[in-house]
Amino acid sequence: MLKYTFRRLLGMIPMLILISIVVFSLAKLMPGDSLSGEIDPLNTNPQYIAEMREKLGYNDPLPVQYFNWVTDFVQGDFGKSTRFKVPVADVIMEKIPNTLFLGVMALLITYILAFIMGMYSGRKPYTIGDNAIAGINYVMLAIPSFVAAVFAIYFFSFHLNWFPFGGSVDILVEDGTFEYWLSRLHHVLLPAIVLGAMSTASYTQFLRNDIIENSRKDFVRTARAKGTPMKKIYNVHILRNSIIPLVTFLGFDFAALIGGAIITETIFTYPGIGQLFLDSVTNKDYPILMALTMLLSFLTLAGNLIADILYGIVDPRIRLD
Amino acid sequence: MKNRKLFWLFALILALAAFLAACGGDEGSSSKDNASKDDSKDSAAEGEPQKGGTMVYGIDAPPEGLFNPAFYGIATDAEIIDLFDESLITYNEKLEPEPNVASWTTEDNKVFNFKFKEGVKWHNGEELTVNDWLFAFETIASPDYDGPRYTNVQTIEGAEAFRKGEADTISGVEVVNDYEINITFDQPRVNNLTNLWSYPLPESVLGDVPVAEMSASEWVRTTPIGIGPFKVDKIVPGESVEMSRFDEYWNGDVNLDKIVVRVIDNSSVVGALQNGDVDMISLQPVSGPEVEPLENVNIVTYPGLSYYYVGFKLGKFDNEKQTITEELPKYQSKELRQAMMYAINRQEWVDAFFFGYAKVANKPVPTAHWNAADDSELNTYEYDPEKSKEMLDAAGYKDTNGDGFREDPNGDEFVVKFSHYATGNPTFESRAQAITQYWEEVGIKSELEMVEVNLYYEMIEKDDPAIETFFGGWGTGSDPDPSGLWKANQLWNYPRYNNPKADKLLDDALNIDIVGTDQQKRTDLYIEWQKIVNEEVPMLYIAELEEIRALNQRVGGAKFDVSGQNSPAEWFVTE
Repeated sequence: MLKYTFRRLLGMIPMLILISIVVFSLAKLMPGDSLSGEIDPLNTNPQYIAEMREKLGYNDPLPVQYFNWVTDFVQGDFGKSTRFKVPVADVIMEKIPNTLFLGVMALLITYILAFIMGMYSGRKPYTIGDNAIAGINYVMLAIPSFVAAVFAIYFFSFHLNWFPFGGSVDILVEDGTFEYWLSRLHHVLLPAIVLGAMSTASYTQFLRNDIIENSRKDFVRTARAKGTPMKKIYNVHILRNSIIPLVTFLGFDFAALIGGAIITETIFTYPGIGQLFLDSVTNKDYPILMALTMLLSFLTLAGNLIADILYGIVDPRIRLD
Repeated sequence: MKNRKLFWLFALILALAAFLAACGGDEGSSSKDNASKDDSKDSAAEGEPQKGGTMVYGIDAPPEGLFNPAFYGIATDAEIIDLFDESLITYNEKLEPEPNVASWTTEDNKVFNFKFKEGVKWHNGEELTVNDWLFAFETIASPDYDGPRYTNVQTIEGAEAFRKGEADTISGVEVVNDYEINITFDQPRVNNLTNLWSYPLPESVLGDVPVAEMSASEWVRTTPIGIGPFKVDKIVPGESVEMSRFDEYWNGDVNLDKIVVRVIDNSSVVGALQNGDVDMISLQPVSGPEVEPLENVNIVTYPGLSYYYVGFKLGKFDNEKQTITEELPKYQSKELRQAMMYAINRQEWVDAFFFGYAKVANKPVPTAHWNAADDSELNTYEYDPEKSKEMLDAAGYKDTNGDGFREDPNGDEFVVKFSHYATGNPTFESRAQAITQYWEEVGIKSELEMVEVNLYYEMIEKDDPAIETFFGGWGTGSDPDPSGLWKANQLWNYPRYNNPKADKLLDDALNIDIVGTDQQKRTDLYIEWQKIVNEEVPMLYIAELEEIRALNQRVGGAKFDVSGQNSPAEWFVTE
């Protein structure tokens, strides 16, 4: 296992180098730079723009720019955001707690809903209930999250007044108090529900199929022959076996947690990584853009690795070495 | 064991449900309160100012967090700064400078003597002195300064030498005492004062910070201070700012206890206004029709300082030599340009795409400026397709091959290529399409190209051959001088309009030997200039925009004119 992990980790290095080249080239291929765009003659002048281009090194040859960027990057210096004028790491660190909070809440909601629906569907396959759950799941999967977000805000925030329509916290409550955390939870719930409830399909169907498959296995027949109640068979024997493959999903969720929900965060004006990413794209804030893309690529690679390793752990039949 | 697991699962669900119910109940009752309050004081907002209360001020994009006038880059940051900081000099509704903290005297428009009011306090309790202003000049003129404001300090004598490191001080700035300062400019100009940097920088807190690190420092980002009526208490990055009344504010009483600034996404603005979740916010024209029917919201419009135009590429610019080096022949015919102007029904277009929040423009100077020419002195190019056709015929643009579209005077195919920037906004393409349709109606074949916005302005600036006619907009400041956007030696003269006579008028209007301090003389010269560019239409003037604010009924004391909002100290809310 150790050897396998090590080998995979080594294999990630060339992959990361390739990704860095792609990320850099894509960023540079984007038309314009952080200083182009709509010009406000009140705030700037052509000389300033030319000077800043020189200062930021936009006039250097591309390989030089790439080399400078990578050298700094591996030393932990992600550069300075052209827009916020502070180190990229600071900007990202400022947003990560929000995004993680939202991601974890959304995941929790997904798990809970998928669990309930999956267990029901698996136990009563091919019934009206099962089909309804599948239908709802796929419809939800098909609805774009930004449409759902706008509807959710309209209905739950403006119509029913259950949730705030944006932001991550009420600024008037004092930091660190119980009300503060309550306010944060209150603010995060609606986007989390939009994100979480919309993506239950894969988990639900996965769990359902596994339960159905397991319910036809020998150990289930044995348990029934022994007179074990059906409830116990499903809730203990089958469920425990069916959860195992789900564990591997955790690895894939890893990158999604940080990557956040780009559009959803923006609509809810929830200041997280997703909103930052979108803003950086529209404003050509290369340093942030490249750091975030690298971070997400790395997390995806790491997530895959974790998924593979977990798989080996929960299912010893799979030999990794 | 299995029961315990299930128990936890359901406990969790229950807890979540409880939170949901608790939070939901809360919000519901508070909004009900709001509603009943609104009913009881319909007209109260117009009456006597009331003390206390919290106002929610909305902004429609997340701030970048550069909360200092010397460093900010985007309008949302500026909106927040306006609430807690003040300029030393303000502008009245004619955009003429007026003393605020500083008053001034000058003999020759070269040497100015400024006197500060005594007892003006920064939010950290330190007194404001002229040294804070000097500190601002030296910061902005420092070679390490990374903001865009050097252009406002450049004209001070010795600023250039200071920036190059040839001098330790700016020779044109002379501190007399804590409340008096003399500033000498490199040459007398009539607009020296309006161009001058007019915000002090708190030396007491930023004095020890190296200039290169200032924009990242806490005094700019998280705990900014100013001299305005409100002080910043707390900032939640990217979403909200809490401000409270500054008790030692120098200029009279402050009505509100608190202002909360909140980012509200455009998709939520109407709902937030309706629910009373936001008290004041700037609106996009497209939201206007939706907000107008709301009973608890008033809409205030005031003249803006920006205009939209359709430009023609008449030449190519060499940025090294700062001259127009080449003349492009395609649109040189004045009659053609005028005919294209007559062909556009600008009123219809403005009504359709700006919902009544814009006016047809006939000149590149916003009407609110004191030097704007009256429409009676200009050709207003009323929509007249017949006249347009006649002019095109007379200029030789005739349909010679019977395809329904006009050929150029040489008999070659003539296609107008029109470019417009593309963002996420779906109305841009239809409004651009509408313009090409007007042209096609008079027989000019037109092609529309939508270009991604960041690339768009770069292509225009570099005189990319793909750009022939283009849609654009400019905002002008309180200084109404259009030289920077119009003279032949300016990069931002995008049409590459080259008319020495017009340039001479612009130069004369700034030349103190010709106009002295006589504003009427300047106005006459600017009007003369506007007549020329109105006649020659190197760009088709389309519209000037209005600024729109939505105010909840409970808000009072807020006034707006072309110079912006009145001091937030005068705002109040009725509870």
